[in-house]
Amino acid sequence: MRRILAIARKEFLHIIRDKRTLIAVLAMPLLQLFLFAYAVSFDVKDIPTAVLDQDHSVASRQYVNTLQQSNYFKITQNLGAMSQVDGVFSRSEDVAVVVLPPGFGDAITAGRPGPVQVLIDGAEPNSAQLGQAYATGLSRVYGFKVATDQADAKGVNLAGGGLSALTRVWYNPEGSSSAFLVPGLIVLLLTITTVQQTANTLVREKEQGTYEQLVVSPIKRIELMVGKVLPWAGIAALQVVVISGIGLVVFQVPFRGSVVLFALSSVLFVLCALGLGLVVSARASSIETANQLAMMISFLPAFMLSGFVFPLTSIPPVLQFVSYLFPARYFVVITRTIFLKGGGFDVLWPQIAALAVYAVVMLVLSSLLYRERA
Amino acid sequence: MTEAPHTGELALDIRGLTRRFREVTAVDDVTLTIPRGEVFGLVGPDGAGKSSLIRMLATVLAPTSGDALVFGRSVVKEAHAVKPRIGYMSQAFSLYGDLTVRENLDFFAELRGVPRREMAARAERLLEFSGLTEFQKRQAQFLSGGMKQKLALAATLISEPDMLFLDEPTTGVDPVSRREFWRIIAGLHRQGITVFVATPYMDEADRCNEIAFMAQGRIILRDTPTGMKKRVPGRVVEIAVSDYRAAMPVLKRLSYVRSIEVSGEMLRTLVDCEDDGACEGEMRALLSSSGLVVEHVRPTATDLEMAFATLIPSVDLPERDDRAAGPEVPE
Repeated sequence: MRRILAIARKEFLHIIRDKRTLIAVLAMPLLQLFLFAYAVSFDVKDIPTAVLDQDHSVASRQYVNTLQQSNYFKITQNLGAMSQVDGVFSRSEDVAVVVLPPGFGDAITAGRPGPVQVLIDGAEPNSAQLGQAYATGLSRVYGFKVATDQADAKGVNLAGGGLSALTRVWYNPEGSSSAFLVPGLIVLLLTITTVQQTANTLVREKEQGTYEQLVVSPIKRIELMVGKVLPWAGIAALQVVVISGIGLVVFQVPFRGSVVLFALSSVLFVLCALGLGLVVSARASSIETANQLAMMISFLPAFMLSGFVFPLTSIPPVLQFVSYLFPARYFVVITRTIFLKGGGFDVLWPQIAALAVYAVVMLVLSSLLYRERA
Repeated sequence: MTEAPHTGELALDIRGLTRRFREVTAVDDVTLTIPRGEVFGLVGPDGAGKSSLIRMLATVLAPTSGDALVFGRSVVKEAHAVKPRIGYMSQAFSLYGDLTVRENLDFFAELRGVPRREMAARAERLLEFSGLTEFQKRQAQFLSGGMKQKLALAATLISEPDMLFLDEPTTGVDPVSRREFWRIIAGLHRQGITVFVATPYMDEADRCNEIAFMAQGRIILRDTPTGMKKRVPGRVVEIAVSDYRAAMPVLKRLSYVRSIEVSGEMLRTLVDCEDDGACEGEMRALLSSSGLVVEHVRPTATDLEMAFATLIPSVDLPERDDRAAGPEVPE
């Protein structure tokens, strides 16, 4: 225990005496937080839209109004003919074209579904997908409104027997991307700083020649690993608090779950990430190699294979399998569940157990891989 | 493997220690015993395997084969029992540059389990002893080369080891600090600490109780400094002359001059002749007749430099696998 504390104190001194490390662990995550949170936005607003109203009825004008009033579409022009649509897309004037064919108004009045065609420029798939979703949603809302109006007029109570399929988005009703991103960003930023820093630590001892002095000392390898990890765990804890705080205050991300559970799982995750860094450090031949390896196993999986940006269900099965090998995927589920859904240990225990096992395996593995004698 | 009855008195019992790095055999079947309390010097050219040998003894490098007992405990199987009793100083500075002098000492004291109540007293004594007291708040990276080495030594001494392994501790250190450093080693010797030191400097080797010469991974010779010098065939004559470069070819003509070395502005010749001044007279006459102004020609003591220069070529470097024609290793 005394030796562990001696190592931890020494590591702490290294950290606070090195300005570059301090900047890397304290300022960089904040910068990255703001960059990511503002730059990586999936919110689609004011989609530039053209309208081709071939019906010229009261109903069609009402429909266009509904579109206009939502914040999602911005109607920039009215087209005269179908032949103009291609030009609109190829000149990138608009991303969506809403076509109201002749007979739209009649269909509505007759109580039949009004056919609306929404053409979307697929060059930017993300916006395309969302635009489509919004348009469908709006059409349904409009359709429901019309139906209600007609029912009212006819004195029928729809609430009793009428059919209506309603999609409701839970937990993040506005589909706000900061609510979606910030919990994931905590994972990403923690991974980058912690893995990177510990990946260097053992290699640096080797390059400085100080590892020989450690070897001559009666210290067990696991004591060395734990001692090296402790101060970083403290710094990572600080990062979690700061990043979450900014997420709650600046980005208005809700926090619905248990603070204790979040703290516990954060500690476990940080230990996993640090252990992963130590594994790299135990075997890397130089600081450069360690940095590159750390980048490969920290940033990439945390970004691509964690569900942070891309849903894990939509990646190829091989990569899905790979994603299980990195702690990020478990922690992304945990942060989102705690922040947005308020889920507790009863739902999160598999992920938390995975992190706990992972942390122990990494620390033990790193001390096994770290060869004392050259 | 049976232990010699007097193993308890040996600080070091090296048995066929070998280390290969891929194709290169850095340390080749070294067998050596060193009594307790000795200052033992290891000399030899760069690449002779001195560092590899020391690193194996200090449990930092794993031997390919063979073993070494430090105070009777195996560095291979009982490294945990060896570590608490040894201190090791590597060739390169091996402390933390961003930690202060005192923090470095305290760190190694904690790491090596120095009792808490003794820590401060020991650190202060070592600082005093190495003349670093007034620098204790300075970061180690801002110390001079000599002070760094003294700090490294102090850090190795904090756990009060019984055996010290020093790998070229004064390389790149100014002469004053070197002398200072050896004064400290002499003090440790008086306390009964066994010191095993590799050095490239012959004047340092001269201060050891015994020395071994290492080349190509093997111990070629082992003797006391005096013994080494006695082995030199012939005696040394020092010559101070107006132009030593011009004097060299002149002296080479004499049949009894075995070798000539330049030492500063003077020449040191190894001559094979009686100690009656006859040779000196002849050399003086020959140099004068060649138009050189002779300052002095006088017999002088053999030093280790001369000893190794003349002995090493005469000691046949052994064939790699020809043990029968092995080196002369006197006990």
